[in-house]
Amino acid sequence: MANQLIICEHCDCVYEKVTLARHQKALCLRCAGVLQRYNGLSVQQRLALTLTAAVLWTFANFYPVMSISLQGLKSSATLWDSVVALSLGPITFIALVAAISIIIAPVFQLLLLMWVLSFALSGKRSPAFRLCMRWLEALRPWSMLEVCLLGAMVAVFKLAGMLDVIPGTGLFALAVLSLLLIRIAGRDVRDLWDTV
Amino acid sequence: MTSHPTDTPQAPGSPAIKTRRFSVSLVWIVPIVAVLVGISLVVHSILQQGPTITLNFKTGSGLTANKTEVKYRNVVIGQVTDVALSDDQKSVNATVQLAKQAESFTRADSQFWVVRPRIGAGGVSGIDTLLSGDYIGADIGQSETRAKQFKGLENPPPITYGEPGKRFTLHTQTLGSLDIGSPVYYRKIEVGQVVAYELDAEGKGVNVEVFVHAPNDAYVTENTRFWNASGIDLSVGANGFALKTESLSSMLVGGIAFRAPPYSPNDKPADEARTFELFDDQDSALAPPNGEGQYMALRFDQALRGLKVGAPVEFLGVEFGKVVSINLDFDAKKRSFPLNVGIVIYPQLLGQAHTKLLKVMNHDPNDEAAGVQLIGSFIENGLRAQARSGNLLTGQLYIALDFYPKADKVKFDPSLRPVSIPTIPGNLEQLQEKLENIVNKINQLPIERIAGNLDSNLVELRKGLTQFNAKTLPGVQNTLADVSKTLQSASSTLAEDSPQREQLTQTLDELGRMSRSLRELSDYLGRHPESLIRGRPDNAAPLDLQGPPRK
Repeated sequence: MANQLIICEHCDCVYEKVTLARHQKALCLRCAGVLQRYNGLSVQQRLALTLTAAVLWTFANFYPVMSISLQGLKSSATLWDSVVALSLGPITFIALVAAISIIIAPVFQLLLLMWVLSFALSGKRSPAFRLCMRWLEALRPWSMLEVCLLGAMVAVFKLAGMLDVIPGTGLFALAVLSLLLIRIAGRDVRDLWDTV
Repeated sequence: MTSHPTDTPQAPGSPAIKTRRFSVSLVWIVPIVAVLVGISLVVHSILQQGPTITLNFKTGSGLTANKTEVKYRNVVIGQVTDVALSDDQKSVNATVQLAKQAESFTRADSQFWVVRPRIGAGGVSGIDTLLSGDYIGADIGQSETRAKQFKGLENPPPITYGEPGKRFTLHTQTLGSLDIGSPVYYRKIEVGQVVAYELDAEGKGVNVEVFVHAPNDAYVTENTRFWNASGIDLSVGANGFALKTESLSSMLVGGIAFRAPPYSPNDKPADEARTFELFDDQDSALAPPNGEGQYMALRFDQALRGLKVGAPVEFLGVEFGKVVSINLDFDAKKRSFPLNVGIVIYPQLLGQAHTKLLKVMNHDPNDEAAGVQLIGSFIENGLRAQARSGNLLTGQLYIALDFYPKADKVKFDPSLRPVSIPTIPGNLEQLQEKLENIVNKINQLPIERIAGNLDSNLVELRKGLTQFNAKTLPGVQNTLADVSKTLQSASSTLAEDSPQREQLTQTLDELGRMSRSLRELSDYLGRHPESLIRGRPDNAAPLDLQGPPRK
């Protein structure tokens, strides 16, 4: 079957798709690039995790990521506050990039996943399945929650010496969300092409 | 399978398989947990949320939405969520989200104010807000009714509820330099402060509310007198200068001091919210009470330079009132400018005289008409007011009420209010009058004629003198020369070596010799009385006196 072939994305070598067991991955013979990984997630699990991620995204956006205080001077910020702060800065364009990479891209990813997976759960292809799948692929490089997380962590550790830094609920939600997104919106979403 | 021996060759039947219509994976627990956590967070924050109130401030200075906190005893009990202009744009409404446990702050008489750095003469407060930014201070009220709208105070209330102590109201004529926060001293120790002041209902005085902290509030007794301790009290007495002040800060921001008179038997601590009089100074506060004042009018015909409002009024030398007004009037009939002087007297200050008089006259102090009648009878007996000079240097006058039985009779009008007391000119004026009379008499003397006579007399005298000089004086001189000569000769006569003196000495010697021979003669005669008859025998006389032997 034509759709049982797989092409190495690094060197364009064509292979036949294999079914992998746990802890296994398929490597390209020519360039040793990873072709396939074992995908332990069923559609149902993926959908469940997607919903969890959606809840976490809500937390991450509405609860302060961290609050700092110095001699009674107090300040706390959510993800949106950081975007607003950037937009007030000299380069407003950066605010747009930040908004896309830490708020808009993840939420689109989650919405598309939910849309596609909820149909896939009953074995159907969702309307506009192709568009959705292509967008999912396109959004992946723009979703940079883990970068944001690392930035926030660095800020927390750097400020801890000077001020009282209290990591907020949002930071924990952000951490879990970025891990979850790697898991659920990874490259193996493409398996949906075969399963439905 | 076939290798196993079996008892029955019957092939195993396949069991019926039933597929669950919905196979639910355990993984769904994860989103459910996430949602539950989310719900619990939301519910928690909703439960933590107390009531929302609106505070109305004059300005929004220092108020920032979602940043400014509401604190009670420095614990955060809420946060400002919104700052907006009021509908009439005359004030600022701050919406405050209170915490759950701060629900009691919605009592209708709760107080809210903005804490910001304040530097005053009384002290410095709110320094911490320099760093942390302003916050809203709160104080729980005690009212049972709840409110959503509160008026924010412009200044922090000096006393918060629940502070142990007592509040008292002081009534005074003017506020003076007092202000909210002015200290209250007891024996120079700060024990309380002024918490509020307002005009009284009629606008004729000021009610000052003070708070005295426990346990010192026990020293405020029924008998306690309060006085204004503001400023410096410099007095000059027989002992020299005395400078009195409560403290440096009271000099700047004013202050109130209180104390009971030293002799206050059966004194009890005063009840809360009792009203006291606030005196101007310590002396008047601790003086015996004035009692009720009585206003009287005096009308003077002469100028009263040196009479000031507040000058004392004395009765037989006892001070018992003061001057309250001095007004110039115009008398159309006499075409003169008399002075109307209003005085207030406190008969109670006369002490025993007052009480005994009341007893003797069987007079009720509240019966006004009888009191006026009494004054009328005094005037009948010669009671007069007089402006006297209290101090010759400064020329200050005081009013003296005294009895002048010889004074001209004056008709007393008992219906006039305030009661009018007739006056007589002051003693300085009387003196002036007498002096004037003297001057007038002097003026009437025929001084020119006297001077003319005197002049001609002097001319005569001069003539006489000239004559005397020309004629009499030379004669006198000659006489004097003669006298001098006489004296000279006298002195030469009496000199040591003058011939007269020599002769005198000889004469005296002769006399001595003569007296010796006389003594001898008398001795001889004593021994030889017969010699008077017979003559002297030869042996009778001493050898030297014996006559030549008779032959």
